[in-house]
Amino acid sequence: MAAIPKEKPSRIEEARAGFARYKADVKARGKPFYPYAMFHDTIMSLVVVFTIIGLAAIWKWSAYGPHHDPTHKGLLGPIVDPPADPGTTSFVPRPDWYFYFLFYLLRIFKWPESVFLGTIGVPTIALVLLIGLPFLDRRLERRPSARPVAMVAGVLVILSMGILTWKGATAKEALASEVIQDVPRWIQQEHLPPAAVPGAKLFATAGCTACHTYAGSGGSNLGAPDLTNIGTRNLGIQFQINHLKCPSCVNPGSPMPKFASLGETRLHQLAVFLEASKGTH
Amino acid sequence: MATTRRQPTKAQIRRQKMEELVIYPIDWLEERSGLVGGVRYFLFRNVPSDINWMQTLGSAALTAFLVQAITGVILAMYYVPSAATDPATGKPVAWESIVNISDNLTLGWLVRGMHRWGASVFIILMFLHMGRVFLFGAYKYPRELNWIIGVLILLMGMLEGFTGYLLPWDQTAYWATVVGINLNGTAPILGPWLAQFLRSGQEIGGETLTRFYSLHMLVIPGAIIALITLHLYLVVRLGVTSPPWSKDAAGGDPVEAEEPARRPGLTRPVPRTANGAAMQAEPGGRE
Repeated sequence: MAAIPKEKPSRIEEARAGFARYKADVKARGKPFYPYAMFHDTIMSLVVVFTIIGLAAIWKWSAYGPHHDPTHKGLLGPIVDPPADPGTTSFVPRPDWYFYFLFYLLRIFKWPESVFLGTIGVPTIALVLLIGLPFLDRRLERRPSARPVAMVAGVLVILSMGILTWKGATAKEALASEVIQDVPRWIQQEHLPPAAVPGAKLFATAGCTACHTYAGSGGSNLGAPDLTNIGTRNLGIQFQINHLKCPSCVNPGSPMPKFASLGETRLHQLAVFLEASKGTH
Repeated sequence: MATTRRQPTKAQIRRQKMEELVIYPIDWLEERSGLVGGVRYFLFRNVPSDINWMQTLGSAALTAFLVQAITGVILAMYYVPSAATDPATGKPVAWESIVNISDNLTLGWLVRGMHRWGASVFIILMFLHMGRVFLFGAYKYPRELNWIIGVLILLMGMLEGFTGYLLPWDQTAYWATVVGINLNGTAPILGPWLAQFLRSGQEIGGETLTRFYSLHMLVIPGAIIALITLHLYLVVRLGVTSPPWSKDAAGGDPVEAEEPARRPGLTRPVPRTANGAAMQAEPGGRE
């Protein structure tokens, strides 16, 4: 560090002088919080409360539908979904909208090499940068026009979060009723033997495609790998069954849910199907 | 003070007694706590005269939090955090209590709807408030600490969203949480431990639900209230910034000031306001 010339005050001295000037200015020329600022705050708060009441009302009046069904999708989604059932696996996991940007990040990073970046890496770095902002940007200048780097960075952050949220909101969901129609194409493209067909149908309907992609079908969510040619790795029927029963036992740190509730017969069918998947030709 | 030598009328005496009756408890409280002075300082402290509408976003977020607190307390009176199956209907008890609140309770739909959507509004307002602080450069000296506290409040708010999402115990809630916890588990070292703690076991079940309920309505809200108190204390102590582009910004850049206009004893040129002349004659002398 170079020695600071005496005439020029150091950064912290300048900052302290600026703040003292601010205090003096506010004391001399400011206006009292009540009623001036509080008036605006009250109006804004009323807008907030009525917006929330409005959303609650739209939610209620547009849901239910003609048959008074609480799972009917209205303008703002159903009042409640069917009860939680650990046995079903065909449900597409979906967080609340303000987590969509994190959710969509996992479509960019794939298991197993880089999924760690999407789950923990990027969010942690973003949080550390956010907390550290006052120490990264130490200039005293506050006018946006004189802070081009900060403004560009801010706009880029808003844009990327907005795009990730939008992509997460409009991401195509792999519905079992639609994916099952792809099974004949899979059989043809992958040359699946008849023994693998029950497993293929199960794969299409048991929720696997909510996260995994297979021969162009499926969701590509949460960092799940493509399974089009999983069979070429020759992992073996028993490995596939064990993995389906408890993914994190076989593959430490795997975020995939357990599928043990499908039962031995169906797990075997799925394993046969996966081992028969040697890629599209 | 008007100097009347006449005896006070009966009406005047009555009035004076009424005033004493109101003032006495206030004086009593002030003498023993200093709280009245504190409130008076909070209300009548000066803020810069050029603050604008963007600076209401913080109090708007606070209002949204208060809506969450009030509706949350009411919901806690009727919600049952149990994943056990109701033998009469075969449905989970927690899910049934949510349907009961929405369908049968008087204005239950309003309270749950406000809590459900108030959460989104709270998150949006926190992000907008943060954007405003960023735009104004208001995180700079001496307000660095308050920026950090604000980021922590935002983080806690998102955690409230995550833990509250499970409570209706429906399919969306269940599967989003299964995956959410599994994703936490991918973190190195702490990850598996954290996932185990959140699940409270190997599988998501009844104990996960009660754990999330406790975090959602006791631990995290307590943290948020403490952080908001600190946040507001620092706002009052350090003051609110002027918009940085304001011609009349409090504490404005002295380099901007026209040098010849300076006079001994004045740190900046006389502001072009209606009462500027008075201030020039008696700087800081207005009470």
